Amino acid sequence: MNYKIVHKTQYIYYEPISLCHNMARLIPRNANGQVCKKSTIVIDPVPDVINEFEDFFGNKVIYFAIQHEHKSLTVTVSSEIERKAVEQKQAIDTYGKISWEDARLQLYQPLLDHIDARQYVPETEATTFEAGITTYALQSFTPGRPVYEAIYNLMERIYKDFQFKPGFTTVATPISEVMKTRKGVCQDFAHVGIACLRSVGLPARYVSGYIETLPPPGVEKLVGVDASHAWFSVYVPNIGWLDFDPTNNTVPTEQHITIGWGRDYFDITPLKGVILSSGPHRLSVSVDVRRV
Amino acid sequence: MIATRQASLFQNYFSSNYSYNELLGDDGNLRPYWQTFFQSFGQLGSEELQERRHAILRFLKENGVTYNIYGDPLGLNRPWNLDVIPFLISKQEWTTIEAGLIQRAELFNLILKDIYGAQQLIKNGLLPIELVYNHPGFLRQCAGIQLTGNHQLVLYSADIARSPDGKIWVLNDRTQAPSGSGYALENRMAMARILPEFFEGLKVKQLSPYFTDLRNALTEMMPRQDQPRIVILTPGPRNETYFEHSYLSSYLGYTLVQGDDLMVIDNYVWLKTVGGLERVDVILRRVDDNYCDPLELKEDSQLGVAGLLQAVRSGNVRIANPLGSGILENPGIMPFLPAIAKYYFDKPLILPNIASWWCGQPSEMKYVLENISTLVIKKIYRDSSVSTSIDGSTISAKRIEELKEQIKTHPYLYVGQEKVTFSSTPSFVDTKVEPKNALFRSFLVSNKDSYTVMKGGLTRTSSDSSNMVISNQLGGLSKDTWIINPESNETDQIQQLTKNSFGIQSQSQSQSQFQSRLQLQSQQLQVAHVLNYKNVLPSHTAENLFWVGRYADRFLGNARFQRTVMQAITEGNRIQLDSNRETEHTLLMALTHYTFTYPGFIGETGKAKLDNPWKELSEMMFDPNKNGGLTYNFALFSRAVNAVRDHWSTDTWRVLRSMEELWVEASTTHLTHFKMITMMDDLITLMVAFIGLNRESISREQGWSLLNTGRKLESSILLVNMLRATLVNKHDEEVAYNLQEAVLRSNDSLVNYRYKYKVHLQLPLVLELMLLDPDNPRSLIYQVVRIKTYLESMPNTQNTGSVPEHVRLTTELYNQLKNADKDFLSTLDDTMATYENLDNFLADMYSYLATIPNAISKTYFKHTQPHRQLFTAG
Repeated sequence: MNYKIVHKTQYIYYEPISLCHNMARLIPRNANGQVCKKSTIVIDPVPDVINEFEDFFGNKVIYFAIQHEHKSLTVTVSSEIERKAVEQKQAIDTYGKISWEDARLQLYQPLLDHIDARQYVPETEATTFEAGITTYALQSFTPGRPVYEAIYNLMERIYKDFQFKPGFTTVATPISEVMKTRKGVCQDFAHVGIACLRSVGLPARYVSGYIETLPPPGVEKLVGVDASHAWFSVYVPNIGWLDFDPTNNTVPTEQHITIGWGRDYFDITPLKGVILSSGPHRLSVSVDVRRV
Repeated sequence: MIATRQASLFQNYFSSNYSYNELLGDDGNLRPYWQTFFQSFGQLGSEELQERRHAILRFLKENGVTYNIYGDPLGLNRPWNLDVIPFLISKQEWTTIEAGLIQRAELFNLILKDIYGAQQLIKNGLLPIELVYNHPGFLRQCAGIQLTGNHQLVLYSADIARSPDGKIWVLNDRTQAPSGSGYALENRMAMARILPEFFEGLKVKQLSPYFTDLRNALTEMMPRQDQPRIVILTPGPRNETYFEHSYLSSYLGYTLVQGDDLMVIDNYVWLKTVGGLERVDVILRRVDDNYCDPLELKEDSQLGVAGLLQAVRSGNVRIANPLGSGILENPGIMPFLPAIAKYYFDKPLILPNIASWWCGQPSEMKYVLENISTLVIKKIYRDSSVSTSIDGSTISAKRIEELKEQIKTHPYLYVGQEKVTFSSTPSFVDTKVEPKNALFRSFLVSNKDSYTVMKGGLTRTSSDSSNMVISNQLGGLSKDTWIINPESNETDQIQQLTKNSFGIQSQSQSQSQFQSRLQLQSQQLQVAHVLNYKNVLPSHTAENLFWVGRYADRFLGNARFQRTVMQAITEGNRIQLDSNRETEHTLLMALTHYTFTYPGFIGETGKAKLDNPWKELSEMMFDPNKNGGLTYNFALFSRAVNAVRDHWSTDTWRVLRSMEELWVEASTTHLTHFKMITMMDDLITLMVAFIGLNRESISREQGWSLLNTGRKLESSILLVNMLRATLVNKHDEEVAYNLQEAVLRSNDSLVNYRYKYKVHLQLPLVLELMLLDPDNPRSLIYQVVRIKTYLESMPNTQNTGSVPEHVRLTTELYNQLKNADKDFLSTLDDTMATYENLDNFLADMYSYLATIPNAISKTYFKHTQPHRQLFTAG
């Protein structure tokens, strides 16, 4: 499947800003089943400085600074993506059947991939094990349960137990609050899933990206329309990284497009910045994902 | 004779329960170098010793040597405490320590390079990934950034201690922004100045080669044709070791800056100065790495510079130590060091680690849990202010269970360490020598091929033999540290003395030679100032100097006026006369307006105080919570002074200390009215001395201009306020006369008036003298002319060709004053109760004077603009 994605972010300031520094993680990387054929970023006003580099996780980062007075900032990223479903069924049928405890044990074999995956085991500030995370996780991770089945069950439970409610949380809402109210958006559900997996000792990472929404006739509309999306990915020894989307209760195939990943949202924040000002500002975001 | 003296000094020393091998050899006799030392020590006699001890404390106090204690409101600027007995290390022992420290620095350098580079140690199983990746000091943002040159790790410090069997152990490694070298230097200065006799016959090694190599190391970090600009980045005056930051800034000649003095433009770091932007090449940081860049690191940090990491990545600025080096401050690494040393050097560690068990490994965790009550438990990282070491033997059974639970939940965050007893070292406490436990901090700096170790260091002592935690935060005494070589006939020191500053004379030359060398040093320091500060006045510093000026004159003005009012009240029983009563009441109310100590004598509550004003007057002097009061203003003044502490000379510090002491003394005793007035006299004299000393000691032109602009602006505002509060309202002839007299007296201009006019006081003449007379140093026009001159000497940062606003405003103000007419101002419309022309004129003056500081601020103190995070787009 080929996609063209346009992601536009706009800040309007109430007073002129003379200096801003920004980091954008909006250029999709190549990933399993995905090739980013082209991606361009247009920034208005034209920045005085632009640096491109890859971060620790291999994500593409654009740093830019605007060093002259401006009252608004618009960042538009247009990307062309070729996406194919990844054939993992055979591997899952073989290695997904081992118990999750064995999978966890195998991580400590001295293999480079395992060592690398282990960096995603420890909790982070956004994925702490507080407020009953471990207890919640253990309901899926019952003793001896096959690892794939347990993860799939966790995804289903998050989908059923949590209500999708935009505006109820912000990026700063702690996971304990989400666990208590059982409401949130895709970031929150991804964080809950990641925290649960880590609490039982499995490596899990946060994936930032998009999801294609199909036009109405006869088709159920997927949540996440016209917005960036997020889900989680789990490392299972001998299979590799497997994606799960708890917001839509689905295993991502060719309708999910990955921008990049990290330990949690804060490693892969799409756009952030520091401005010299104490005044308020307004933010608007629009995303368009189109098949071509 | 000497023997008996020593005996009394050592009373109880040997009866206490300490191991005393620092002092005694295996044969039970004093070690030879201690023998030499205590000979000099005993010769002084106990009386002289006490005197010198006090002299040391005075020296440190007058030099403003302080240490800030967190979480203690009174702890800001706690005085530094130094033992008269140094910590001695013999040359032979030092050779091993030095080699061990260099090996350790090289090792950490390689580990740092590997962690942010190829990660071979992790891949080869020599360093568990959990130990590295779970440490908050592992900054993923810094992966792949490498400095040029041999060493990634520019500075290294280790805390070491002797165990009772004489072995040297490394307790802590400091790799971010090690503190203490400035205190070590200041300790040496104090000892050399006050106790030169003690150095005799011991051939004490110098500290200066370390600082020379530090300078070289920083300079060579950024190869350039001209001199690179190096700054010291401090978290600010509230930081615990701020004294040291400003001390090193003076000593090394590098500008001291805070995060908001710097900005990143075009991938370069720039220093905001009153003369515009100056490029910065090298940053010696005292800010923890996580706080250095709010864009990429800790987002809510106000101590950093947004975009700093971009400048680092672009290779346009170098930081010592590099960002990310905090990962090495990790006691969990210790158990892996022997294997890593073997991997890199194929050699064992020269200095042993304390036996440590990292709980991230199952069997090690089991051992720690089983032996928890005999171990010291540490986290792999330090929380900034909380002590993270727990002695398992000192906590309750309940606490032990809690701790075990914490370890089981996050095993990789904990380390168990063997408890090591320290050896004791002699310390001079009160009147005798006592054993104390010592912890010694060493300092290393890269010198291209290897590391240079400071031949000396900072020793701190504690009286608790079981306490492994010695920290300034918990109190304790510091010691100078001497590496001595009494047997040899080295002569290199004498030669070095002529080259280096701060050398210590160990031959029998006398103090006078030492003194002259000190003078030479201070001249060298002055030169460093002049060279490095030329045209570089960080806007933060500029603003503080401006406020020092304003607060100094506010304090002075308030003190003088209050003194005048108190004198007027005490002089005779004039209260019987109605006119005197009215004078007093008017003056008291004017004092409230003048000092902004509302409600004071104003309004209904104020009215009640008018006939018994002393309680309110006393509160105005001593109540620290009374806004506008003297104590309150003095606190503001002190804060501003401390924020730019490297700008004051020793003599200035002495004056400041005297003011503080006077304050403490006065607030603890009950003062008669008369005493209150004499105290006011003393305070005024000291403040005048402070201002006078600045004239001599501040050599930086722009700083001097701003400080004086602040002073002149403040005294102008105060003068206008005083005239409005006393002379605008119409009074009976006699009251008016009294008020005019008070105004002149309070402004030290009564003599001037009599000398100039030789007539009775008259309003037009008083106004002429106080507002319009260009020759009266107290007149408004005199102040305004000075403000104009100072501001015109400042660099014009706008470069627009037009006159900057603050200069334009000052010129307008000056022109209005020049054209004012005393008779017009004193004209009174009989139907009115006020001198309206005067009132309008003064109101005009005031609005100019209130606007000029804003204009100055906008031009020179731009850093005041805060930065903030954009909402992140989800």
